[in-house]
Parts: sequence; structure tokens; C-alpha cells
Amino acid sequence: MKKYNKITPEGTKDLLFEECLTHRYVERLLANVFACHGFHEIVTPGLEFFDVFHFDSSAISQECMYKMTDKRGRLVVMRPDSTIPIARVTATNLQNQSKPLRFYYTQHIYRNAPGLSGRSDEIMQSGIELIGASGKRADLEVIVTAIEALSKCVPDFRMELGHAGFFQAIAEQLPIADHWKEDIRATIEAKNYASLDTMLDHLEPSAAVDAMRKLPRLFGGKEVFEEAAAYCLNDKAAETLDYVRQIYEALTVLGLGDRIMVDLGLVQRNDYYTNIIFSAYVEHFGDAILTGGRYDNLLASFDSPMPAIGFAMNVDAITRVLMDKNKGKKIPDVDILVHGEDGYEIKALNYAANLVEQNLRCENSVFADREETLEYARKMGISRVDFVGDTIETVHRINL
Amino acid sequence: MKPLRIALTKGRLEKDTVGLFEKIGYDCTAIKNKGRKLILPVGDNQFAVVLAKAADVITYVEHGVCDLGVVGKDTIMENGTSFYEVLDLGFGRCRFALAAPKGKHFYEGYHAKTIATKYPNVARGFFEAKGMDVQIIKIEGSVELAPLLGLSDAIVDIVETGTTLKENGLEVIEDVCEISARVIVNTASLKLRKAEIQKLISEMEQAKR
Repeated sequence: MKKYNKITPEGTKDLLFEECLTHRYVERLLANVFACHGFHEIVTPGLEFFDVFHFDSSAISQECMYKMTDKRGRLVVMRPDSTIPIARVTATNLQNQSKPLRFYYTQHIYRNAPGLSGRSDEIMQSGIELIGASGKRADLEVIVTAIEALSKCVPDFRMELGHAGFFQAIAEQLPIADHWKEDIRATIEAKNYASLDTMLDHLEPSAAVDAMRKLPRLFGGKEVFEEAAAYCLNDKAAETLDYVRQIYEALTVLGLGDRIMVDLGLVQRNDYYTNIIFSAYVEHFGDAILTGGRYDNLLASFDSPMPAIGFAMNVDAITRVLMDKNKGKKIPDVDILVHGEDGYEIKALNYAANLVEQNLRCENSVFADREETLEYARKMGISRVDFVGDTIETVHRINL
Repeated sequence: MKPLRIALTKGRLEKDTVGLFEKIGYDCTAIKNKGRKLILPVGDNQFAVVLAKAADVITYVEHGVCDLGVVGKDTIMENGTSFYEVLDLGFGRCRFALAAPKGKHFYEGYHAKTIATKYPNVARGFFEAKGMDVQIIKIEGSVELAPLLGLSDAIVDIVETGTTLKENGLEVIEDVCEISARVIVNTASLKLRKAEIQKLISEMEQAKR
């Protein structure tokens, strides 16, 4: 039988040395930002029932979930998302807790990505959820927290804002069946101008058709608001646009300039997002490193309707970007190698513990004789070796 | 910032795209005299062209190691997932079609049909939309052989002129969809380098007319 005991499953990998250190550094940095703003850490189970993620507006298709069964044959999945479990716990155990609730998390999600595509199946995500709060204040708080978190690790990001409602408002004006609207939405999401045009050519010319045609092109800076104004066919569209503008203008105070963009063609499929949506990009990573938005209908799937907003960041991607830019964390040098002579092993370990108390980095030598210890220090670039016997004898690099 | 990278599908689409670039006024000498090189500068290093197999164009663009790509709609339908498909270049035109041995009534009878194809995802999608449950067999070479040898009831394949079908006693039963060359763009690239990318795309759009 072929044994797979020397490889890891596709889409997973080991984290070592600098990469591991950088990864943990990013996790702590983000956790600290979130905690300082009053968010509480939450850990949800790695295994959940399939049913938790299986509802009408779920963005998670069953193909991409890792599944197994529990002891009673019920379908269980490896956590494919963190927001939905947090909604579940809010709707159940936290029903009577006063709102809003502020949570942050740092945990893996698992997705069964198509084979040999080079995508990860195990992704470390860090993010926040602000649950039980609606309105501009809540939206701004979460977006600004996202910006603060990004600025701390990848300051050269671009963030874009969109609104799930703008498309819906215009789609209402189209006299066509819902599945047609879904087809149109999909082509707008893909910015597939050609097939969008083909589809719209079949419809009676109208203001709504023109607006749809324009929608995927409505992205960029401030000028988008002027352009889009012409396509606000009803109050709902106008209100939506005005709201995105308010958020955009509020954010200009942060002095991010053209790093904040607007994309009104940001219309995600079957997503639980209902309102303002945002994502962030950085150079050298081909996908969004942060995605978030308001999901006011998700809690209703758990019979506890309430507004909520949040975002998730891809810690693996941030780590990769930092490593690529040579901004990863370096392994700190060991200050002292401690060698215990025969019979002085415990004394040496205590001595090392003492040095550690003084904030020095100490490594214990496992070699039996001095020469080997010195050789090891030379190889590892450790500049000081302390030999512990009756007395302490220190050898510095100069003498090595 | 490094120049934009464009992945081109080697072969006919590459030639047609180079023609388009030259029409715009970009110097494509490096591509024409490429030798064995696979990454080639265009014009005054305005952008770099990467030559790749069709499916790899998609892979490179999805991962963002290339910002743009020129690839057939057939490959997008079979492999594509997440990128922007911004322009139909109009060349490389052909179509996907369902074809079966001449005179056979494909839709007749109740037995589950077997379909041979190089494009299992396209075939599956086509029959799913019809609410038909079919068995799909992936064939790498000449798909026309499968029904002739009795392996399948029909094929889903790219049809240009229909000559190959005719010579092998097959006929088109139904068109699946039209195919042509498309420009695809990485999602992050479009956001990060909007001005440059839009300029190039509108130049291509102008030139293709």
C-alpha cells in the first residue's frame, strides 16, 4: 500500500523559522489592534455541523467544504468561515447579552480548493464582528479599524468601498425574472463587459439597462460619484450612493488619498452582505487580503434577526507579502550558549535560567566536551559561551 | 513600478494579439524574434509579454503573477473562476457544439447518454442547464473518434468549419455557445493599477474595430 507519511495534503504546509515568527507576529499585531478597541477574542469549534453553513444566502458552496460524519452519522464540516459560527453563537448562547457585541478571532478556515491550483486549503484568518449595531457610526468604526489593522502590517494597501444595494436598486427597475438578474449580476461581478452587453442588448432600451451597462465601469476615485449620479433611477439607488459617498468623505479625513476607492460594480454572489462592502488589496498578492461588509440578514438565518458588520483578513497572505518584501521577522540571536561541565548540568540549567531572567537569550549546550560546544557556537554565530563548573568561565567571540 | 505583465496564449491568439498591439503602435519586435525566450518586452518596455499555454494564462492571471491575459472563451469556460473578463477581442472565433453521428436522434430514448469531450466542465454545464443527467468521458485527442468507436453517443467540442465532423459522419445537433478571444485581468491588479490597465484595454478596444 502506498504510504503518504512524508508529505502534507495539498493546500497545506509547515511554517518554519522566520515565516512562523512573522506569522505569529502578524497575528499578535492584529489581535492587539482589535483588543485595544474593545473587541473580545472568540474561538469557535474547528468542527461544526454542515447545516450551520447551509442556508439560502450562504456564500459557501458545499463543494468547497471538508466534510465528515460524527458518531451519529450527522454531516460535520471543518470550519469554512468564522462569521457564520459567530452569528450562530450570538443567536443562541448570547441571545440575552446586551448589544452590541464586539468579537475578534484568529483562527484557521478550511476550504477544499480545486486540485493543483496552488491555493491554500488551510487559511489563517483574523477579523472582527460588530454585532447588533447598525448605522454610519458602526460602519465607520469597523472600516477604520480595518484601515488601522492594515496600516500596521501592510501600509501600502488600497481599499475599495461598494454597496450591495446599488445593484439591487437598479435591478428592481428591470422587468425581467430573477434568474436573469442573477446572470446579469454575475457578469457585472466578473466585469465581463462583452457578455453583459450581449445580455442587455436583448432587453428593451431603458434607463435601467443603460445603468446596468455602466455599472461594472463605475469604479475608481471620487469621480465615480458624479458619474453614478446619472444612474440613480430611484430613491433607493440615490440613498445608497449618497451613503457610500458619506462614508467615503468621512474616510478622507484619514488622509489616505487615492488609496481609498469606490467600486459600485462590487456585487458578490449569494453573499450574506446586504449593505456597505469593502475589500483591500496590496501589490504582489493577486487577491483581496481583506474582505468585509455589513450582513444584516445573516442573523435572521438563525432566527435572531439583528444587524451586524465585520471583516476578515488573510494572515497567510500578509505574512507572504512581508516575507517577499524582506520585512519578515528575523530570528533573534542567542546571546549566550551555556555549557555545564560533567556533574554541573543542573547548576548550568539554573545559571541559564538566571540569565533568562535578565532578559538574555540563552541556549543550553547538549555537547559533552568543550571543543564541540565551541564549534557549535561558531557555526551558529553565538558570540558568548559560558562554561559552568566550580566557577563560571566566559569565552567571547574574539577568543573563539 | 514594474511594467504590466500580459500573458498571451501561444499560437494563433498570440499572432492576432501582436497584430493588435502593432496596430496600436507598440513595437513588438522582441516577440517576433523571440527565440526561446518566454518573457518579452513590448515597445519601450511599456509592458512585458509572457507566452503560455491557454490554461496556464488563466492560472498566471488568477494568481496575479501576470496582470492581464489573452485567452479563448473555451479555456475560460473550462478552467476559469475568479478574474475580470473585460474585453471580447473578436478574433479566434469558433463555437462549442454538440455533435452526434449523422441520422441518429440524439435526444431520443431514455438511456443515460454518454458524451465524449475535451471540455468536461463545459459539457457538464450544458447538460445541467437542460436538466439532463449524462455520463461524461474525457478524451485528450481527436474526440470525433469516440462516437465512431461506439464509446459515446455524442461529443461536445470546438467547431470551426465543421469539415472534420462531416468527414467523420458527424453532424452538429445543437450549438452550445460562441467562442472568441478575451482579455482577462487579475482582480487585484485592476484595482491597484487601474489607469494603466484601462488605457491599454481601451487602446485594444479601439484597435480591434
